[in-house]
Amino acid sequence: MNDTSQDSMMESVALYALGVLPREEAALVAAFIANNDEARREYLDLRAAADALALSADEPVDSARSARMKERLMARVRSDAAGGTAALRRRTAASYPAWLWGTGLAAAAAIVFSVVTVAQDVNLRGQLAQAQNTNANLRTQLAQNDRVASQNRRTLTDLVAADAKVYQVTGGRVVVRGDKAYFALSNLPPLAKGKVYQAWTQPKGATKMVPSVTFTPDADGVAVIALPVDARGVGAVALSVEPEGGSKAPTSTPTFVRQLS
Amino acid sequence: MDPGVRLMERVRARDAAAFEALYDGYHRLVFGIGLRMLGDPTLAEDLTQNVFMKVWTAPDAFRGGSFVAWVSRVARNRALDTLRAKAVRPEAEIPADLPLEGALDDDVFARLDAQRVRDALAKLPPEQRGLIEMGFFGGVTHQELARRTDTPLGTVKTRIRNGLRRLRESLGERVSR
Repeated sequence: MNDTSQDSMMESVALYALGVLPREEAALVAAFIANNDEARREYLDLRAAADALALSADEPVDSARSARMKERLMARVRSDAAGGTAALRRRTAASYPAWLWGTGLAAAAAIVFSVVTVAQDVNLRGQLAQAQNTNANLRTQLAQNDRVASQNRRTLTDLVAADAKVYQVTGGRVVVRGDKAYFALSNLPPLAKGKVYQAWTQPKGATKMVPSVTFTPDADGVAVIALPVDARGVGAVALSVEPEGGSKAPTSTPTFVRQLS
Repeated sequence: MDPGVRLMERVRARDAAAFEALYDGYHRLVFGIGLRMLGDPTLAEDLTQNVFMKVWTAPDAFRGGSFVAWVSRVARNRALDTLRAKAVRPEAEIPADLPLEGALDDDVFARLDAQRVRDALAKLPPEQRGLIEMGFFGGVTHQELARRTDTPLGTVKTRIRNGLRRLRESLGERVSR
């Protein structure tokens, strides 16, 4: 990474601390922070200021609204604390926003209405099916969004976590936290046409490397890769350049091989 | 120590009274973040319900540090989820979630209050304050900030960085790590 890129990345650290970077860029900056002590110090400083910003939103809430929210929450919590099974159903309900429940209730209302009037207006059946399809699509979309957001959140958290194990390697660092392992690479040489980087993992106690994901870094040689393996069972990781599509065994001298303690 | 940290220890033991105290102490903050990010009291109410149900049903998600910082980030991330679900903007224009853990001491926020932060914000030059507030509460990316304010991207970056630095200096050692 040249000086210009370095300066630009340092400026991006402030944007990352404030939370105004899109996902892909945020992952790259997180990798940069994981690999650069100066960036890490800057991030922690600016993150403290950004966190403090949230407090400025602490303002009085309309007392009726406040009481209504509390009443709904406490009814669920007390029931749950008492071991009531009703709480489980309500908790599931609480995980969906009101607008989605509005759609569900609308569909339920449409069900009742269509039963009463089916003989008079068959079009309602079509409307019901459409409402149900819309409801199902919204739920699917919401679940996908939640999954992606959750993975993204986990990666960003792990890369900068104080309790993560960090291993220096050629081109960056390997970060291990709990069952997750990441390659946070910020200085990979460019690839020849038709080549990709391939990650390798070696299970504890094994002697051979197992092929893992292939990837291509960005123009600055930056890549953040979450290895699709339980890191607790991995004894070593490696990286090599391979033909597109990957290889079953390394065909070039590895960029790095790193034992994990 | 942030009182939220002690209360969370009791919430883990399914103490409803501790949860009620957490709600009393922090619902204004969570609702306020939701309202400023979503601009709709009903959505902010949904967000508040969801955040506190997460606190009750998954207390282990809080792994220490400042409870206020954590719950603020949970609220902000949940608001971003809502913006994504509403699909009012392309995904690329919605910022990434904030990591939920950090290295802040748990008593950092015990030394701060809303008025002190608002005072510190008021001391920033308007062009820095506007970008920082719009960025944090607007749920928009830096590119979108540049577009909305008709400001070059490089200037946006510099103003945000300088503004956050000044804010930190203004808050002094209260936000020291």
